[in-house]
Amino acid sequence: MQRFNRRQFLQIAGLSGSSLLLGGCGSDLFAGVVGQVTEPLNQRLEELLLNPQKPVPELPVSQIEPDKLIVNSFDFTPMIDPVKYRLTIDGEVNHPMQLSLNELYKLPLTSVVMRHVCVEGWAAIVQWGGVRLRDLIQLAQPKDTVCYVYFQSADGYYESWDLRSCLHPQTLMAYQKNGEQLPIDNGAPLRLAAPIKLGYKHSKWVTRIMLTSNLLPSRGYWEDRGYEWFAGL
Amino acid sequence: MTTDSPRLKPVLLPKQALLAKTFHWVNVVSLFIMLGSGLQIYNANPVFGGRQGLHLPPIFIGGWLAGGRDWHFGAMWLFSLNLLWYGLYILISRRWHHRFVGENDLKALQVGKNPKRKAYAWHRIVYTAIVPVLLLAILSGIGMYKPAQFYWIVDFFGDWQALRIVHFMTVPTVILFAIVHSLLALKVGGSRLLESMFW
Repeated sequence: MQRFNRRQFLQIAGLSGSSLLLGGCGSDLFAGVVGQVTEPLNQRLEELLLNPQKPVPELPVSQIEPDKLIVNSFDFTPMIDPVKYRLTIDGEVNHPMQLSLNELYKLPLTSVVMRHVCVEGWAAIVQWGGVRLRDLIQLAQPKDTVCYVYFQSADGYYESWDLRSCLHPQTLMAYQKNGEQLPIDNGAPLRLAAPIKLGYKHSKWVTRIMLTSNLLPSRGYWEDRGYEWFAGL
Repeated sequence: MTTDSPRLKPVLLPKQALLAKTFHWVNVVSLFIMLGSGLQIYNANPVFGGRQGLHLPPIFIGGWLAGGRDWHFGAMWLFSLNLLWYGLYILISRRWHHRFVGENDLKALQVGKNPKRKAYAWHRIVYTAIVPVLLLAILSGIGMYKPAQFYWIVDFFGDWQALRIVHFMTVPTVILFAIVHSLLALKVGGSRLLESMFW
């Protein structure tokens, strides 16, 4: 079951990789070279800057900017039945699990008022509320070799993160936005949210969290098209 | 005449220190990349007006947002480390004291009668004034690149939009500087001075 799913995962990746050829027409070949040379250095610096224990100072609730959060998605808005919804946590874990929304709601709720920064250049101060990803990972008990976490979304979007960023106390699987139930456009019933990564790392409509020891050939929808993988803030 | 005396020496051609020329070249090239890729990033979401805002013609470095970011975050090292070693060099060599604007320039502008000396004073004021602008570009850039780690930089500028505006405004400032700086150099020392800085 586990292996089959990963194969599926790679198939999706293969399909999406083909658009690299098509999408590459408008891009600059040299930029890829420059990125390959300098991005490892930048990533090393980002990893050094990130302290997975240290929360980013929160912003006051009065500064929340509800109108500034632009809805971005790469394809369509999936409709998910909240009753049938299950979050799968699997991969290299001792306790793979499936959680219903009610089970998720019973876990400790954490709220973070943070600056959501988009790769495009805009930013919005948002409050997200939800379960710490750290708590979910602990429940699943990852094997010692796990270093990466994959996120699969109902719309076909996929992302991968370094484990350290996932263990940050403000990295949430959120089901609330600005004190209210998370709207469908913003990723209901469950989305990623954290002050330490660029917006495209924050998968919406997350249905599956898979822990792995290695980074797979597909690293994320936008990353496979040229965006930085670590994308730390 | 077999002996040279200082009084009889011909007018010396302007000559620049090799390190100054190296700095100048790397600065020109890296700033060009920073501006070109920065405007590419700008076009993803214009600073003024967002997506409905004023887009610039797509003639920039990188081809699209991710390419622009690759160039910008690659060339930032070239640009900022170049500025860093040059800063150390002018401090250690004390060039800072005699090659940048000083009281004598201000005096020349206030009470001096020599128009050439005044033009030279303006030249020195302008190329000294660009130094804090370049440092501001780096500071505001770090704030936008890593706003969670350097949240105090965002706070220092007020908010995100203020930070974006400051960072963006360094672009027209640098372009304007490049024009004025070249014209003043021509006025002060002609094409010989200009060439001495490059070759």
